Amino acid sequence: MSSTRPELPREFIAGHKRRRMMEAMAELAAEQGYEATKIADIVRRAAVARKTLYDNFDGKEDLFLSAVNATITEMRVVVEEACEQNGGMPEEGIVAGLEALLDFVAEHPAGARMCMVEAISAPPSSARLYDAGVHDFVELLRKGAPEGADLPETIEESLVGGAASILQLQIRRGEAERAPELLPELSQFILSPYLGVGKVVGTGRRK
Amino acid sequence: MDSNREMERLPRGRHGLPPEFVARNQRERLIAGLIQALYEEGYQKTTVAMIGQRAAVSKSDFYKHFESKDDCFIAAYDAAVDQIRRHLLAACESAQGEDWAGRVAVGIEGLLKQLDAEPALASIVLVEGLRAGRGIYDRYQAGVESFVGLIGEGAPRSAEGAEVPETTDEAVVGGIASMLGRRLLAGEGERLSELFPEILEFVLAAYLGAEEARRIVSSG
Repeated sequence: MSSTRPELPREFIAGHKRRRMMEAMAELAAEQGYEATKIADIVRRAAVARKTLYDNFDGKEDLFLSAVNATITEMRVVVEEACEQNGGMPEEGIVAGLEALLDFVAEHPAGARMCMVEAISAPPSSARLYDAGVHDFVELLRKGAPEGADLPETIEESLVGGAASILQLQIRRGEAERAPELLPELSQFILSPYLGVGKVVGTGRRK
Repeated sequence: MDSNREMERLPRGRHGLPPEFVARNQRERLIAGLIQALYEEGYQKTTVAMIGQRAAVSKSDFYKHFESKDDCFIAAYDAAVDQIRRHLLAACESAQGEDWAGRVAVGIEGLLKQLDAEPALASIVLVEGLRAGRGIYDRYQAGVESFVGLIGEGAPRSAEGAEVPETTDEAVVGGIASMLGRRLLAGEGERLSELFPEILEFVLAAYLGAEEARRIVSSG
């Protein structure tokens, strides 16, 4: 996010506070759930004044939706960049994107939990953000698919939904940090309708 | 559960039925009433009064069976998952002579037909179950889990020289549930059967590879 950092110190501080509030929301929602999280908890955790919260957001729901939206966007950007930087074989792009996604989940367990678990069942409007996020990842997968694969969208939606459900189980078990270990299995799962079970390449970690 | 049918009401007064039968019957009607109300109104708008109305059970009788709307929802959710699982098991049993791929095909076909015929049932399990709050989302996950063993039973564990990982079973079931939920949300319920060949290809490809999956699907 450093490339979008505003130059003016005042704006920088304001943006920083906004971000802190969203991070506090993510942490609290992950720890105790959206319903149980109170405005008072958020301002305490983010170390901002109550007024600052209401200057930036309409209230708890608005803050939650903004935080979910920001995290999903960040996740998508990271995955998209990884796909594009591995422009060799299409399947290498997909594996790189998946690896970036798993790393993101491991590095941001609270954010991942907020947008992949809490968002589904918290306020109804956040479920729509989750659905839109799934749609974006289906589009990414279609973009990265081997040329001529031409799978029906039903299959790509099932692949994204299936990978998401494995990650959700991992997050709900409190093992988000170990998400990168899922790379070989999930690569094989996602690529199987394109390539065949035994023909998956590049599933070893490159780091 | 015909969506338009009035819930059958027991005859008033002295019908000579044992009280436990009446209670059981009321409970079942309330569960069916909640499933129907949810389908028509969504979780947030559904009230205990609406459930009672559809079940022809008074509000005070509602509270003899359930503590709250949520309590009734959880019972209804589990009952709905159970109904789908029993239906699926019966379909799989009818295909016992077939190989794994054949059983999967019969199972998926049966599942889609049932969901098309009972949109309220499909909706509570695949859509409302996810959206009604944390406790019920746990049931959704448990419900999904309960199908994992069904698909994995007898599934090939290696194909084209590679092992099929254990997580594949979960990913396949979770993927189908998520995709079907999205289709229902998009208003494409009652036409899920049209997705049969694509879903079958998805499942088979995960275990047998793309080529073999396509060969089986296109050979019917």
